[in-house]
Amino acid sequence: MSVTNLILVTLLLTFLYFVFGRQKAFAVAKTSGGLQGMHSLPSHYGAYVAVWCALPALAIIVGWKLFEPTVIDSMLASSIPDSVHELGEKSVALYRNEINNAVDSNNIASLTDPVKQATATRLASLQNSAMLGLFVLVLCTVIALGVFALKRITPDMTARHRVESVVRSFLFISATIAILTTVGIVLSVLFESLRFFSQVNLIDFVTGLNWSPQTAIRADQVGSTGAFGAIPLFTGTLLISFIAMLVAVPFGLMSAIYLAEYATPRVRAIVKPLLEMLAGIPTVVYGVFAALTVAPLIKDIGSAVGLSVASESALAAGLVMGIMIIPFVSSLSDDVITAVPQSMRDGSFGLGATHSETIRKVVIPAALPGIVGGILLAVSRAIGETMIVVMAAGLAANLTANPLEAVTTVTVQIVTLLTGDQEFDSTKTLAAFALGLMLFVITLVLNVIALYVVRRYREQYE
Amino acid sequence: MSSAAEKAFEELKETVGRVTVDNPKMQAKNVDVFYGDKQAIFDVTCDIGKNEVIAMIGPSGCGKSTFLRCMNRMNDTIPSCRVGGDILLEGDSLYSSSVDPVMLRARVGMVFQKPNPFAKSIYDNVAYGPRIHGLANNRAELDDIVESSLQRAGLFDEVKDRLNAPGTSLSGGQQQRLCIARTIAVNPEVILMDEPCSALDPIATARIEELIDELRENYAIAIVTHSMQQAARVSQRTAYFHLGKLVEVGETKTIFTNPTHELTENYITGRFG
Repeated sequence: MSVTNLILVTLLLTFLYFVFGRQKAFAVAKTSGGLQGMHSLPSHYGAYVAVWCALPALAIIVGWKLFEPTVIDSMLASSIPDSVHELGEKSVALYRNEINNAVDSNNIASLTDPVKQATATRLASLQNSAMLGLFVLVLCTVIALGVFALKRITPDMTARHRVESVVRSFLFISATIAILTTVGIVLSVLFESLRFFSQVNLIDFVTGLNWSPQTAIRADQVGSTGAFGAIPLFTGTLLISFIAMLVAVPFGLMSAIYLAEYATPRVRAIVKPLLEMLAGIPTVVYGVFAALTVAPLIKDIGSAVGLSVASESALAAGLVMGIMIIPFVSSLSDDVITAVPQSMRDGSFGLGATHSETIRKVVIPAALPGIVGGILLAVSRAIGETMIVVMAAGLAANLTANPLEAVTTVTVQIVTLLTGDQEFDSTKTLAAFALGLMLFVITLVLNVIALYVVRRYREQYE
Repeated sequence: MSSAAEKAFEELKETVGRVTVDNPKMQAKNVDVFYGDKQAIFDVTCDIGKNEVIAMIGPSGCGKSTFLRCMNRMNDTIPSCRVGGDILLEGDSLYSSSVDPVMLRARVGMVFQKPNPFAKSIYDNVAYGPRIHGLANNRAELDDIVESSLQRAGLFDEVKDRLNAPGTSLSGGQQQRLCIARTIAVNPEVILMDEPCSALDPIATARIEELIDELRENYAIAIVTHSMQQAARVSQRTAYFHLGKLVEVGETKTIFTNPTHELTENYITGRFG
């Protein structure tokens, strides 16, 4: 007897009621002048009955399971020995934990302490009766509501509309869940950031030129101050994103123009998916490529022409990131270029313009807002990219514009701050949330601008 | 189509009426057009005279637009399209290897069914052609070309205060006149019009028809139209196409009052099409 079984039984009953509802509708139709006289189709009535059975039952199961632990805990409190209660909250929680584990793993005998065994036995019996109660309640509800809904099937009943509105509510709830999740993420990052800013001044964080987040874990450690100036991280991020866009925009745009304007349908059918495969390569693979292939190559070339290149350089990370982003630029640009009406190209050809004149002077200007939107989306992708820079850009928070030096980025620092052994309320770990918040704000603004630009472009032709 | 008319079409070997004119601007000789394996135009021979408007009429899918698009090699932009026979402009073949289709289109301009202004200002729309062909040496000359083109298209007075407004901000009829201004700005010899009024209301249509009549002084014009009244109003000669064949050509007056071929008569009198 488990919740899974209960849900299965409920669904089975629901299906049966769907069939009953359908048959009832046929029966009603027979006595009231045929199917044409009914408001809805028989399957709508079936679905209506099914909805009446399934939704309340599932709601009861969810609600029951939400409150069950609290109720059982309070009922169990009396059988936890006073000696444990006297030791305080934490000991009680520990005690409960041990007992819960034993019951969950069906192994009460493993508890050596007879008192604990007694508590565990009581817990098990409580859980059993709760399950039984839930089972009976749900089954009664399903059967009773099903009978009730069957009774309501009449020729005038608007089953079709009612089922529709249930479907609509479902769709609405699905959409809301995604939005609420985003809100939840923002709020959790926001509150952690506020804790950080209560320890480090916001102005110091935003304008500080020095990033050295080492804080002491023990009081007697040296070097316990820590400096949280985010500027080197943001310049690092911007430098690498800039290099990436220098690669991605020209190559992406030109391949989009080739695909949209010159490629024959056969070439396009092969090249476009291949290009879009670049977006499907895991970023960690790009990271390996950047760190093990591109970075040493740049270092070798640099030393051959007498430049000193760090073994982890912004250039290597930026180049590889640029290649990764090419499909974002090319795919979005390809879409907007293809969306420019053929009649506009014809107009240009008809005036004696060549193909490339037409592209440069008519097609691209017409598609420009959409292309800009696509590029902005690619920029926010570049800013948020983590894996490549973790592997190829280094950890040194240098404030530099030299692409041959190692830099570090916001995302890299978030990763390093939150990996390894940390206290989760130290300034160092909280700094990660503050960085995350700022990153989120920046990419959000970029996305809003990009979507605005893209939408304005769409309106122009629709 | 009645079976009698079908029979008449089967038996059609040669275009009825006089296909040549005394002083031709363009001459189409035995033109065949194929889209892939499908033949769209069968052996069409027809002249376009200087300072004349020739109307091309016929039911949908009869090939009149396809034929029109052969005359400035716009069909070159469709990869599967193949043209046989020959078309001459002032006695020179359009399809000989020495002809650059891009330069040809500056001599034979085209106005399309749907107004298609570029996503640029009114001024830049008209200046587009002169700029790519280097027709103006300086800004003042370009200004002159733009103004005179807009004037000849009868649009200048309506837009002279807002030459920098986007071309798409004009009404449909104004946009079509803008497209005509854009076409005459490169100073072509022939203007091809592919149902230029089909997207316009009657008032805008009347305005364009007047304009076509004025333009005849300087250009040879071929116009494809679905409106027989329009063909009757603007053209001197009319060509009737049917299923890819040129059935009959003649003086517009004659075609509309006393057509020779049974198919033409059926179409004119509204029995089909």
